[in-house]
Amino acid sequence: MAVEALKSIREGEEGGRKLLEEAKASVANILNDAEQEVKRLKEVARGDEKSIASEISAKYIQEGKKEAAAIMKTADTEVEKLKAVAESNLDSTVNVVLEKILGVR
Amino acid sequence: MGAKEMVEKIRGEANEESEKIIREAKDKTKKQLEAAKKEIEEEKKRFVEAEERKGIEEKKRIIRAARQKARKLRWMAEEEMIEKTLDATLKRIKSVKSEGFKGNSYPNILAGLIKDSTISIAAGSSAGVEVEVTLSEEDAAASYIDNAMLKNLTNEISNDSGVNVRLSLSDERMKSAGGVIVRRKDGEIEVNNTIEQRMARLSTSLREEIMKTLFTGT
Repeated sequence: MAVEALKSIREGEEGGRKLLEEAKASVANILNDAEQEVKRLKEVARGDEKSIASEISAKYIQEGKKEAAAIMKTADTEVEKLKAVAESNLDSTVNVVLEKILGVR
Repeated sequence: MGAKEMVEKIRGEANEESEKIIREAKDKTKKQLEAAKKEIEEEKKRFVEAEERKGIEEKKRIIRAARQKARKLRWMAEEEMIEKTLDATLKRIKSVKSEGFKGNSYPNILAGLIKDSTISIAAGSSAGVEVEVTLSEEDAAASYIDNAMLKNLTNEISNDSGVNVRLSLSDERMKSAGGVIVRRKDGEIEVNNTIEQRMARLSTSLREEIMKTLFTGT
């Protein structure tokens, strides 16, 4: 009777040990899975960086080009006006230059 | 306690222990994942901010380049019109020769240039000064300056400057649109009052005058 009892206690202890070993193996898997998941998330983030960078760059380049086009349009208009004003004042300016170079005051 | 109870107790404790370490591992990895996600988000935020700064700089560079280009465009238009004015001035010299300018005939204008040049040469001289006047081929052929005119000029300059001046026409001819070169006979002093030289000499003040009159009309 005592032998039977001891045997079943030993089997119980053995079962407990196995249970604990299985639990430790599960823990190792859980930790490994988590580590892999962190790694995956970081890789995804790194992969996203390229498209984020090109999106941001394209946005500002577009804004810059838009403003640059407006600046050039204004400049073209100003140059046209400048030339028109100069053409209308050309004769009087030639007279001013002639006065100076001919010494006529 | 019987053997059966003991075995159950051992299994129960082992179960509890297993569940505990698994629970703790799950809690730990949950926190690790949350921390990693937070770190990734913060890193992404920093990355976006840095890219935004780069983008803003690029935008500024594009705008700066456009402003520079616009300034160059305006400057080129100004230069083009100044050149046009100077070209038109040189072309007008021909009509000045035939029609005069502001009530002054071309010979009178030449006389004025000769007088200014001679007074410069005579300045500081107490003795008499002999001076030669050189004209362009065209002006000499048209006889804009003759001996009678030179004689009058000689008297006028001598009276004005108090120096005995003698003027004569040189046989030498110069290449110029007009104007005169006046030289002391010994060749020591020369005043170049050709149209081209006067334009070059007065270029700085001429540019200012041209800019003012051409673009503002004042």
